Amino acid sequence: MRRDVVVVAVIWIVLSVLGVLFAASWDIYPPRAGVEAEHIDEAIRILMMLAAPVFMFVVVMMVYSIWRFRAEDEREEGPPIYTNRPFTVSWLVLTTVLAGVLFYNPGYVGWKFLKSNPTADLVIQVTAAQWHWHVTYPQYDLTIKSRPIGFERMDENQVLALPAGRRVKFEVTSDDVIHSFWIPALRLKVDAVPGIVTTMYTTVTETGSYEENSVFRVQCAELCGTGHPRMTMPVVILEPEEFEKWIEEQKEMQEMGGMMEEEEEGH
Amino acid sequence: MLPVFRGLLWGLIGFAIGALLTALVRIALGMEPWVFGPLFFVGYLFGLAGWLLGVGVWDTWMREFLGMEPRPYKEEGWRRYFGFNTDHKVIGIQYGVTFIGMFLLAGLLAMAMRIELMRPGRDIFDFATYNRVMSMHGFLMVLVAVTAVPGMFGNYFVPLMIGADDMAFPRMNALSYWIWPPAAILLLLSPFFGGWDSGWTAYPPLAITNEPGQMFYNLAFFTGGLSSVVGSVNFLTTIITMRAPGMTWGRVPIFVWSIFMTSIMSLTATQFVGVAMIMTVLDRVAQTAFFDPARGGYPLIYQHVFWFYSHPAVYVMIMPSWGIMLEILAHFARKPLFAYRWAVAGMAGVTALSFTVWAHHMFTSGMPETLHVPFMATTEAISVPTGLIFLAALGTLWRGKLRFKTPMLFALGMLFNFLIGGLTGVFNSDLPADMHLHDTFWVVSHFHYTILGGGIFGLIAGIYYWFPKMTGRMYNEALGRLHFWLMFIFFNLTFFPMAWLGLHGMNRRIGDYPPDLAGMNMFVSMAAFILGASFLIFVYNLVVSWIRGPVAEANPWGARTLEWATPSPPPEHNFPRVPEVLSGPYDYGVPGAVHAKV
Repeated sequence: MRRDVVVVAVIWIVLSVLGVLFAASWDIYPPRAGVEAEHIDEAIRILMMLAAPVFMFVVVMMVYSIWRFRAEDEREEGPPIYTNRPFTVSWLVLTTVLAGVLFYNPGYVGWKFLKSNPTADLVIQVTAAQWHWHVTYPQYDLTIKSRPIGFERMDENQVLALPAGRRVKFEVTSDDVIHSFWIPALRLKVDAVPGIVTTMYTTVTETGSYEENSVFRVQCAELCGTGHPRMTMPVVILEPEEFEKWIEEQKEMQEMGGMMEEEEEGH
Repeated sequence: MLPVFRGLLWGLIGFAIGALLTALVRIALGMEPWVFGPLFFVGYLFGLAGWLLGVGVWDTWMREFLGMEPRPYKEEGWRRYFGFNTDHKVIGIQYGVTFIGMFLLAGLLAMAMRIELMRPGRDIFDFATYNRVMSMHGFLMVLVAVTAVPGMFGNYFVPLMIGADDMAFPRMNALSYWIWPPAAILLLLSPFFGGWDSGWTAYPPLAITNEPGQMFYNLAFFTGGLSSVVGSVNFLTTIITMRAPGMTWGRVPIFVWSIFMTSIMSLTATQFVGVAMIMTVLDRVAQTAFFDPARGGYPLIYQHVFWFYSHPAVYVMIMPSWGIMLEILAHFARKPLFAYRWAVAGMAGVTALSFTVWAHHMFTSGMPETLHVPFMATTEAISVPTGLIFLAALGTLWRGKLRFKTPMLFALGMLFNFLIGGLTGVFNSDLPADMHLHDTFWVVSHFHYTILGGGIFGLIAGIYYWFPKMTGRMYNEALGRLHFWLMFIFFNLTFFPMAWLGLHGMNRRIGDYPPDLAGMNMFVSMAAFILGASFLIFVYNLVVSWIRGPVAEANPWGARTLEWATPSPPPEHNFPRVPEVLSGPYDYGVPGAVHAKV
C-alpha cells in the first residue's frame, strides 16, 4: 500500500506543477482596458493557480482508486479502515490554510486595491432606465442616451467614450428598476439602484472599441424586464486629445440634430 | 370522489369567498372593488385553506378537533396516491413522481432556451417570452432541487434507515406533500396572466411593476416554503425521537444525517423567503412601499431577506445529495465510510456557516462596502467544512473494492462535477474576481455544476440505487450506464464552456448576445440537446422497468443499512418488529459484524 501512496503522490505533484504552470501562462482573458481590470484578471489567474493542485488531488485520488481498487468478485469487502488521523488532520489544516491564503490574496489585498483610490479626473454620471443608459459628462455639460436597439444595430447606437490614461468615477443610479452597469473590458460592474447612487472607480489604460471586441460595451447585467438584452451600448476608449475632440463633435451633433433625435425617440 | 377533486372544488369555493370578501371590504372603503391583485391575493389564501381542508385536513384534524371520528384515507393500488395518505412510502413516491415530472418540464424549457441562444439575434422567442421561459425554468428547477431528494428519499428512507415504522407525524407528512399542488397550479396558470420575467430571484422594483403573473410566483414560493417548514419539523422530530434501540447518533447512516442538517436549515431559514414574497405581494396589492424608494422604501432589503433564505437553500439542494453520494460510495466500495464523524462535522459546519454568507450575492449591489470583506471571509471559510465531504469520499474509495454499477457511476460523476462547482464558486466569493464574473454565464456554469452536476446527479444516483427497493423491480443496467455516460460527458460539454462565455462578457438571463460569442454558444446548445436527449433513456428505463423489469431481490447491492433488510418494496409497517441496532451501518470487512437484528 505504501507503493500506492508514493505513486499517487508523484502523479499528483507532476500534474499539479503542470496545472499551476498552465494556469499561470494561460491567456484566456479577453482584452482589458483598465488598471483595475489587470488586477481582477490577476486575481482570476491566482485563483486558477491555487485551484489546480486541489483539482488534481481529488481527480488523481479518484481516478487512481477507480483504476486500482476494483472488486474482483461481487461480495468481496475492503479493509475496515474507519479513519486515518494524520490524513484527516493534515487535510483540515491544509484546507484551512488554503482558504486563509486565498482570502488574503487575491481577496483582501485585491479589495484593498480596488477601494484604495477614491479620486478621479473625470466624473461620469450614469442613470439607467428601462431600457436606456443616460450618460452625463458633467465636466463637459454633455449627456448622451443609448437606444434599446441591441446588438444587431449596435453601430447605429450612441457611444460611451472614455479617455485612455485618466482616472474615471462612475456615479450610477436608476430611474425605475434595478439595473447593473457593466463594462466587460474594465472588468467592473455596479448595480444601478433607484434611490441610491453607487460608484465605481477605474483608471483607464488602453484604447479600444466595440468593433475590435464586444467586451468594449456597456451591458446591463441585472435582469430588468423585456428590453434587458438590448440595454447595451458600445464603448470606445480614445487617446485624451481624441476624446476631447469626440466631446466637441457630440456637442455639435446634438445642437444640429437635437430635433431629429427627439423624433427618433418617438418611434 | 377522489380527495384531489374534492380539494379542487373546496379550493375554488375558498377562492371565491376570499375574493368576494375583499371586494366587499373595498366597496366599504370606497375603493374600486374589481381589481385583480388584492382579490387574487386574498382569494388565493382562502383557496389554499379550502384545498387543504378538502384534500384531507377536514377528514383528519378538523373532524377530530370537532369531536367526530376522523376518516383516514385508506385505499389500495393506484388510488392510494391520490389522497391524504399517511404512509411515508406512498408520500415518497408522490413526491418523486411529481418532482421528476417537474424536472422534465423545466428541462424542456431549458432546451427551448438553448434553441433561442443557438444563434445571436432573435430566433423562436421575443425577449419578453424568453425572460418568462427562463424565469419559469429557473424557479421550477429550484423547487425540484430543494424538494426532490428530501421529499422522495427523505420521506421514503429516513424512517426505514433508522428502523422506524413511519415518520413522527404521519398526517403532517401528508400535509407537506398536499401543500404542493396549489403551488404547481399557480405556476401552470402564471403564463395566462402574463407570466413573470424577473427570474427565480424576482428582485423588486421589477417584481412590483411587471405583469400580474409575478404574484403567482410569489405565492407559489410562499406555499412551497410552507411545505418545507412542515416537512423539516417532521424530519427533525422523527430522527431525534424515532430511532430504533441501539441506533445511537454515531450509528445513524450518513444520508439521515444529511437530511437532519438540511432540515435545520429549511426549518429556520425558509420563513425569511416567505416574508420576502409576502412583502413583494403587499407592495403590489396594498401599497405598502417596502421596496419603493420614491416612498421611503429600500430595494436592497429584499435582497438581504431573500438571500438569507436562498443561500442556505443552495445547501438544502446539495446536502442531501452529499448524503446519497457518501452512502453509495461506502456501499459500492464495500468499505466503511471514511471519517464518518468528520463528514457529519462537515455537514454541521456547512449548516452553521450557511446562515452567514448570504450577502456574497450582493457584492455589486451597492450595499455598504464594510460588508464586503466579512462576507468574503465567511464564504471562503465554508470551503473548509465542504472539503470534509471530499475527505470522506476519497478516503472511502481508497483501498476499497469498487463495483461500478450505475448508482456508483453517478456518485463518482457527482464527486467530479461538484469539485468543479466548488472551485468555480471560489472565484465568485473572491471580491475582485466577482466584480467581473457576477451575473455572467460564469455563474450559470458554477451553479449548474453544483446544483445539476451535484444535487441532481445525486438525485439520479439515488433513483438508480433505491429503484429496486421502491418499486420491487430492477432497472436495466446497460441503459443506466448509457444514460450516465451521455449525461456526464454532455453535462460537462454544456456547462464548462459557459464559464468561458461569462469571462468573455456574456451576462446571464439574456435572450441575445454579441455576435462574437456565437461559435461557443452554438457548441453549448448542441451539447445541451444531447444532454437533454439522455433523459429520454432515463425515463424509458424507469417507466419500462417499473412496469415489467425483473423482480428485485430484497438487497441487490449487498448493502448494510436497514432499508435493505426489508422486502422490496417494504410492507406497510416496514419491519415485522422493532429492529435492534448492534453496530454501525458501514462495518464492511469486519468479520461477523451485524448492523441490526430485524
